[in-house]
Amino acid sequence: MESLKKSLIGWAALLGCFVAGKLLVLLFDFPLPAALTGLLILLSFLIVRGKPAMSVSFAASPLLKHMSVLFVPAVLGVGLYWDDIVQHSAALFGAVFVSTAVALGLAGIAAQKILKKRMVVSK
Amino acid sequence: MTLIDALKSIYLDFIAVIQATLTIDGMVWITATLIWYWLALRIHRMAKGSPLLHPLVVTASGVGASIALVHGDISQYQLDAGLIHWLLGPATVALAIPMYNQWHQVREFGWRLIAAVGAGGIIAPLLAWSVVFAFDTPLAIQMTMIVKSITTPLAMEAGAKIGGIPALAAVFVIVTGIVGAVVSDLVFRLCRVESAQAQGVAMGTVAHAVGTAKALQMSEQTGAMATLGLCLNGIMTAIIVPLLFA
Repeated sequence: MESLKKSLIGWAALLGCFVAGKLLVLLFDFPLPAALTGLLILLSFLIVRGKPAMSVSFAASPLLKHMSVLFVPAVLGVGLYWDDIVQHSAALFGAVFVSTAVALGLAGIAAQKILKKRMVVSK
Repeated sequence: MTLIDALKSIYLDFIAVIQATLTIDGMVWITATLIWYWLALRIHRMAKGSPLLHPLVVTASGVGASIALVHGDISQYQLDAGLIHWLLGPATVALAIPMYNQWHQVREFGWRLIAAVGAGGIIAPLLAWSVVFAFDTPLAIQMTMIVKSITTPLAMEAGAKIGGIPALAAVFVIVTGIVGAVVSDLVFRLCRVESAQAQGVAMGTVAHAVGTAKALQMSEQTGAMATLGLCLNGIMTAIIVPLLFA
C-alpha cells in the first residue's frame, strides 16, 4: 500500500513536469524540446528542495532501467530512411565509426589535461 | 495558442495513444515487443554485458524481423505500439533523478569538470559533422549527426528541433555508444589516457549511456565520472544546440 502511494505520487510528479514542459513549449514557443523542459523543471525543483526525491525515484527507476525498450518504435523508423543510409554509407561510416574513435581519444586527452591540475591541487 | 487549446492537444495525443493500445493489434505488438526485450536482456546477460549485443540492438532486430514476417508495415507498428514511444516523454523527464544525484559532484569538481565535459562535448559533434559535411550529405543528416554523442531521448528531441531526423538520431546515437564502448581500451592505450577520471569523462561525454555502462565495468570511479559526463553533456548539448541552430 505504501509503495502504491509512493509510485502514484512519483508518477504524478513526472507527468506533471512532462505536461508543464509541453505547455511551456506550446504556449510560449519555448526554444527547448518539451521533455527536456520537463526534465529541467523537475531538476530545478529537486535542487531547490534539496532533499532526496524518494517517491519520484521510486516511479522513475523502472522507466530509467528499461528505457532501452522505449526506443524500439523510434529506431525501427530507420527502415523508412534505408535508401538514404545506403546512398551515404561511406560518410555515415566515417562519422559514426571513425570519428567516434578519434573523438574518444581527443576527449580523453583533453579531460586528462584539464583535470590533472585539480588532482595536483587536491593533494 | 491558448491554454485550453494546449491542454486539449496534450489530452488528445494521450487519448489517441490509449485508444491504439486498447486494440487487439496494439496489445499484440506491445506484448511482442516486451517479449523480445525480455529475451534481449537474457542474451545480454549471457554475453556478459557485451556492448555488441546491447538489448536495444537485439530487441529492435527481433521486432523488425517479426514485423517483416507479419505485415511489413513499420508505420502501422509505430501506431500500434504508440504507448511505448509515448512513455519516452516521462522517461526523459525521469533523467532528472540521476542528474540530481550527481549534482553535488558537479559543485565539488567545479569548472574543471564542466570544461572537461565541454571539450568532449564540442570535439565529438564537430568531428562527426565535419565528416558528413565533407561528403556533402543532405542537411537533415548533417543536423542529426550533431546530436549523436548525447543520450538517445535528448538526441531525438534536440535533433528534431534543428531539422534532424529522430529515427536516424536514435540509430546514430546507439551505434556511436557501441563503437565507443568497443574501441575504448585500445584508444585510451594509444592516446596514453591513463587517469580513470579522464577515461570516465570521455566515455560518458562521447559514448553516452552505452559508454557509461562499459565505464562502470572498468572501475567505480570511471563509472561515476562517465555518469557525470553523460548527464552534463546531455543537458548542455540539448540546450545549446537548439538555441544555435533552430
